[in-house]
Amino acid sequence: MRRRPGIAGIQRDVATREQYRSAGEEVRRASLQQMKAQLVIFKSSLEAFALQHKADIRADPVFRAQFHTMCANIGVDPLASNKGMWAELLGFGDFYYELGVQLVEACLASRQLNGGLMELGALRAAVERRRGSRSDPVSEDDIVRAVRKLKVLGGGIDIVTIGRGTYIRSVPGEFNTDKNKVMELAQAAGYISAGQLASTAGWSSQRCERVLAELLKEGMAMIDDGAPDKLRLYWFPALMPQQQQ
Amino acid sequence: MGSSSTFSWPYFYQYPPYFTRQPVKETADRQSSLWGSLILAYCKHHKLYVLSPSEDIPLWVNKDINRRLAPEAAVSFLDDLVAAGSALWLDGGAKARCLVLWRRLPDVAAAIASWAASYGMADSVMLLDELAAGPEVAGTELEGLHREVLLRALQLLEAQGKVKLFKGATPEEEGVKFL
Repeated sequence: MRRRPGIAGIQRDVATREQYRSAGEEVRRASLQQMKAQLVIFKSSLEAFALQHKADIRADPVFRAQFHTMCANIGVDPLASNKGMWAELLGFGDFYYELGVQLVEACLASRQLNGGLMELGALRAAVERRRGSRSDPVSEDDIVRAVRKLKVLGGGIDIVTIGRGTYIRSVPGEFNTDKNKVMELAQAAGYISAGQLASTAGWSSQRCERVLAELLKEGMAMIDDGAPDKLRLYWFPALMPQQQQ
Repeated sequence: MGSSSTFSWPYFYQYPPYFTRQPVKETADRQSSLWGSLILAYCKHHKLYVLSPSEDIPLWVNKDINRRLAPEAAVSFLDDLVAAGSALWLDGGAKARCLVLWRRLPDVAAAIASWAASYGMADSVMLLDELAAGPEVAGTELEGLHREVLLRALQLLEAQGKVKLFKGATPEEEGVKFL
């Protein structure tokens, strides 16, 4: 005959469950405290590291990028706030803020030339020129971080990948997949004709004409009627090799 | 002719689309401004005063990229220079010969006045030909001045009451009296 749980049995179960539950909470609380303690240790180690290597972090873009990766692994974002520990510790806020201003200026200065689409390497070079030879060097990684920060602030600035290249777009308006495709196909030569576009992308001629007209209107493309066979070519200043910019 | 080997071409001169007049206004305006500056710089470097839109010169023709600026486009950019006071058409509506004022007329006039003062030319009379190429101007900034530029600069000075122009029976006899 099976023993039936009596009231006492039920009460015992409840008590046991309660014990387990509070024991579990104890464990959780202890783990959480441990974790918090660990994080505090991490954080102060990171701060000590950052302080010790402050000069290197400012001066060496490669080291700086590695530092960012390390922070990211621990879940710390030194750029999270302009104020606070990191800003004072490293002057990081200032560094990336200043960089943000400089890169926006560089984009604006060349917007007439490339329609507001600038290749990352070219932008880095332009920013370095603005900063002057005596200031800390900046890497493409730095530029990308600064752009991401600006994006969060709602800056109307964005990173666009076209084929093998990375470009910074600094004009509003849509850079849709069609426009991206055109520039990707034109990337190797720096230009493309409507016919080449139609056959390579497999688009109708209307679609080609429309995208090319949009790119022209936005100042991202220029026409060239001087080719030997008189075929109209579309050139993209943003795709110009760096030394020509 | 100045030395053509040391003239440094701007970046857009190597970029084919700039040799085609652009349809989009903003791009076209910038294109015209760039070409205008190039025209002035090119003429200044080579001491050229008169340009023809259809002549075969490196300014309009870049053999390296196999592009030539169409005469209509050249006329358009020269028209913009004229509107800005940096050039003059010498042939009215034909627009085949353009006087390029890479040195502003008031500056040329001032240079003439200053030369006249330092050479003590007051009350003297000179033929225009002498003023353009005579021994008195050899080595000065007036040497090699194009007759058309000289004439217009002197007209400015005449309006300022600093000289009086004389027409001779022939162009060779045109002269100027410094007052």
